[in-house]
Amino acid sequence: MADQRSLPEETHTADPFGSQPILHEVDSWWKIRLTLMRRSLRENWRIFRRSKVGVFGLVIIAFWAIMAVMPTVFFATGFWNPAVYDPVTGLELNPPTRTMTMVERITDPNTEIDRRAVLLDGRIPDTLQIGDTFELPRQPAPPDGRHWLGTDPLGRDVLSQLMHGARASFFLGILAAVVTVVIGTTVGSMAAYFGGIVDAFLMRLADLLILIPGLAILIVIGAVFTFQLWHLAVVIGILSGFGGTAIVLKSQALAVKVKPFIDAARVAGGSARHIIFYHLIPNVMPLSVLYMMFTVTAAIQSEAVLSFLGVLNTDTSWGLMMNLARTQGYLLQVVDFWWLTIPAGLSVTLLSAAFFLVGRGMDEIVNPRLRRR
Amino acid sequence: MTSRRLPLEISAGQARLLEVDGLVMRYDTEAGEVSAVENVSFSLGRGESMGLVGESGCGKTSVALSLLRLAPENARYQSGSVLWEGMDLLELSDQEMREYRWAEISMVFQGAMNAWNPVYRVGEQIREAMDHHFDPPLSTVETSRRMDRLFNLVGLDPAVQNRYPHELSGGMRQRAVIAMALSCEPKLIIADEPTTALDVIVQAQILEELKEIQEDLGLSILYISHDMAVIAQVTDIIGVMYAGKLVEFGSTRDVFHGPRHPYSYLLLSSIPSVTGPRRRPVSLEGTPPNLLAPPAGCRFHPRCPWATEQCRTDEPPMMQIGPSQWAACWNSEQVPEMGEQLP
Amino acid sequence: MVRYVTRRLIQMVFLFLVFLTVTWFLLYILPGDSVALKYAGNPNIPPEAREVALERLGLDKPVLIQFRDYMFNFFQGDLGVSFNQYPRPVVDIIAERLPRTLVLFLAALVTYYWAGFLAGKYLAWRRGNRGEMLVTIGGVGLYSMFLPWFAFMMIWLFSVLLDWLPLSKFLDPEQWRDAPFRANQVFMRLFWVTLIASVALFASGFIARQTRSRRLGRTLRWGGGALAVGGFFFYWYGVDSGQVMRVYAGDIGFHMILPVLVLTLINFAGVMLLTRSSMLETLREDYILTARAKGLPERVVRDRHAARTALLPVATSLVLAVATVIDGGVITEAVFSWPGMGEILVSSVLSEDIPLAVGAFSFIGILALIGHFVVDILYGVLDPRIRVTEHG
Repeated sequence: MADQRSLPEETHTADPFGSQPILHEVDSWWKIRLTLMRRSLRENWRIFRRSKVGVFGLVIIAFWAIMAVMPTVFFATGFWNPAVYDPVTGLELNPPTRTMTMVERITDPNTEIDRRAVLLDGRIPDTLQIGDTFELPRQPAPPDGRHWLGTDPLGRDVLSQLMHGARASFFLGILAAVVTVVIGTTVGSMAAYFGGIVDAFLMRLADLLILIPGLAILIVIGAVFTFQLWHLAVVIGILSGFGGTAIVLKSQALAVKVKPFIDAARVAGGSARHIIFYHLIPNVMPLSVLYMMFTVTAAIQSEAVLSFLGVLNTDTSWGLMMNLARTQGYLLQVVDFWWLTIPAGLSVTLLSAAFFLVGRGMDEIVNPRLRRR
Repeated sequence: MTSRRLPLEISAGQARLLEVDGLVMRYDTEAGEVSAVENVSFSLGRGESMGLVGESGCGKTSVALSLLRLAPENARYQSGSVLWEGMDLLELSDQEMREYRWAEISMVFQGAMNAWNPVYRVGEQIREAMDHHFDPPLSTVETSRRMDRLFNLVGLDPAVQNRYPHELSGGMRQRAVIAMALSCEPKLIIADEPTTALDVIVQAQILEELKEIQEDLGLSILYISHDMAVIAQVTDIIGVMYAGKLVEFGSTRDVFHGPRHPYSYLLLSSIPSVTGPRRRPVSLEGTPPNLLAPPAGCRFHPRCPWATEQCRTDEPPMMQIGPSQWAACWNSEQVPEMGEQLP
Repeated sequence: MVRYVTRRLIQMVFLFLVFLTVTWFLLYILPGDSVALKYAGNPNIPPEAREVALERLGLDKPVLIQFRDYMFNFFQGDLGVSFNQYPRPVVDIIAERLPRTLVLFLAALVTYYWAGFLAGKYLAWRRGNRGEMLVTIGGVGLYSMFLPWFAFMMIWLFSVLLDWLPLSKFLDPEQWRDAPFRANQVFMRLFWVTLIASVALFASGFIARQTRSRRLGRTLRWGGGALAVGGFFFYWYGVDSGQVMRVYAGDIGFHMILPVLVLTLINFAGVMLLTRSSMLETLREDYILTARAKGLPERVVRDRHAARTALLPVATSLVLAVATVIDGGVITEAVFSWPGMGEILVSSVLSEDIPLAVGAFSFIGILALIGHFVVDILYGVLDPRIRVTEHG
């Protein structure tokens, strides 16, 4: 066990958190472990900070995290009225209007309507005569002071949906990543530790899973079950945890398994469970966290695609916003109705890129080979 | 500097093949300028073999790479020249330099495993060098005949040329590297730690073979090693480098029997001798200096047990000590006696 | 080698059986009665007719029997009948769609691997930290681009704003109204001609690489390339059977540009970033120094020594990327209404056309399996170290 006095002295200088316990007072092993963990965390942060792209990714994530919290603040402070700004049921009752003139033959579709349009659109009284004017509510309304990013075809605030979408993405991404890491490290460590038939079975399963195109299977599963967001997160976590992540983590665990301290633990009478959970997994953890980042990216993208295709059953998500724009036919009117497509599409790209960039920054911690010489 | 140009002709009368004169090379790094090679001069004649010894990081590999102009991109040649048969290699264009490499000077790299590209057969990698250097090009038949000869020369079965590097043992790989170095009939081979990764028996065999090949073909070889014992076995001349500078130079016999620079003295006395008089191995204290900010005066003074006031301030020039021995030390006269007094 | 290939093949068949079983149970059994209810339980259908329909669909038998029948029929080439395009056998639909998907994938795959590898190679070669961050962020941005959105943006840019390329679909129905050919006929002709030309192109390049004389190599590379490209155009302009189809083949080709472009751009950055870091690592190896010391021209050092070895990790990534590429293809097809496997998978799933969905999904599985197999073999060919060790 770690001898207290053998820990180097200079470890408790310049503590940015100001709360470093003094090592002489540490009385139990877990406190030592905690201290070591915090120290390695600080060291890793120092390495991570040097990776510009990693920090850039972190900044984007921070931005979206703030975005995800904002609606709560806005609703709580009364800045936003839920009846108007709710992402699902909200409705702008007084949308901007534009003056339309009833004509025989339309020459300018922005200001003129004809008899046919009146009959098709239930909102316009059909008593209109040629030459009459009428105030038509514009429902995908462009941004104004009340709706900073405009409203969607159903009269709901786009910004509010965007913020709630960020919330959904974080929830999904992080849940999927946690499931992946828990499964991946356990499976990888077990396969590495036990070897033989356990290894063979788990690895063949992993082979099968990396082979299957993930989105295709999610589309199929989505057709069979009614998918909630968290179902999706768990399924993605399982697919990736038993699949590619397990393979990578197993090879890492194999490298750890041959280190002398594992033998030492075994000689000291450590059980398989003890060795796996106290020695293998903690040493495989850094790599797991790296894969966590990549899983988040994959999960956010999968969710967006599935909601875009209409397979997923969610309330608010960036993919769903795009789906609405698509089904209502606004997708290709990029200039006229940009607020329906650009914010949502860009958000998916930005947030998943951010997690990926953070992953790349972490790569430099996990793979010392990549560090700048 | 008193005498920049050194009359380092040991076996007088022979045409000088290579003359390195006052070479200064520095590396630009983020931390600053590293003075890797500082005013190094030596020369080498046809058929001679020379050894360059020193601790790792003393600049011996930088010197070797300078001869082929292969130093990393951040290297800058401040001054000095590398004359090859009277022509300054540092002045050549890249294209001219490329034609020079391997055809005139070739190299046996340290760590033979990594010297081979893992995806090509050994023979292919040797043939590639020949394809680029013979003008007019060799015919296919001539190339394969030459290849067989090369492999026989280094004591390998010619069938080895159809194998991949990973299929060979360490000794075979090193032999094949030597075959590759010989492939374009160079006049000089630079052998950078040619045997470091090998076990002692193979090491001795390969050194013996290199020596035979050198004599048969009349080659010059420049050995680079940290291992004094290896150098003593195979060289005629020896240069001892410390912290980017050549500190002692001379015929191998003279330097070995009467080292006149404290560094070479300590380096030599750290090898236990079987045949010579029994000495207590002396260990060299301290670590090599940081070349970002080398010490003033003699670069060895912080570690030198006999350093005087003069050593701390004035840089000693290369001074002739015997008919074929030079040393850069203010107290070189006293080194042997002082050594006797060491604990 | 032979043993390794056989072992892989047996493994593949086994994996496919597992895959098919899971798929079948997932889609046929889990939805419970929904299939029967939706298609045979329609109240407008008289009970007798419903019985007949259930019987014809085999839905009246016990689950395991149904499964046995399905598997039995599957390997006889009978995948059932599509619900939506009722009398049409699933096999027929897949036979028509599979080549279209393959062509789209292969065209995109070749383009993006080639372009990504080239870009990564030059980026690493020109090193220097200047612009490193820019390239990384740009690359990652492109790599994590939300594919459907990106596809629509590209459609908007090239088809709506610039009006250069067709919006979507496989061909222009206006132009084909009086066509003397069926679309598939033309498509398959286009497929074979292009395949032959590309094989000739690659073969000449490959042979040119093996020759030792540089002049002969250059002649072979350029001569062979010109011959392949020339032959391709000669067929469409000079040969009768090609001439009559030219307009229609051109229309299909025209419709392919945008989807291939989108797939290429999306996947290109990943290959580029990977090649770049792999190449940077390779450039630090000793054998690069050896190659330089040998006096080889920089181009040879870069292409023959550095890039060739840097290709290995990129090829490994291809093994893992097969599934991702197929996923990208599914989305792209759905967005472009490109009538391929991905498009039928999405549409059949959304309209609960179960036999078609199972068929499409199982063939996507086969595609992935074959892709893996090919890449695996390719990797063995590229890395001599694997060739030996993998035998055990």
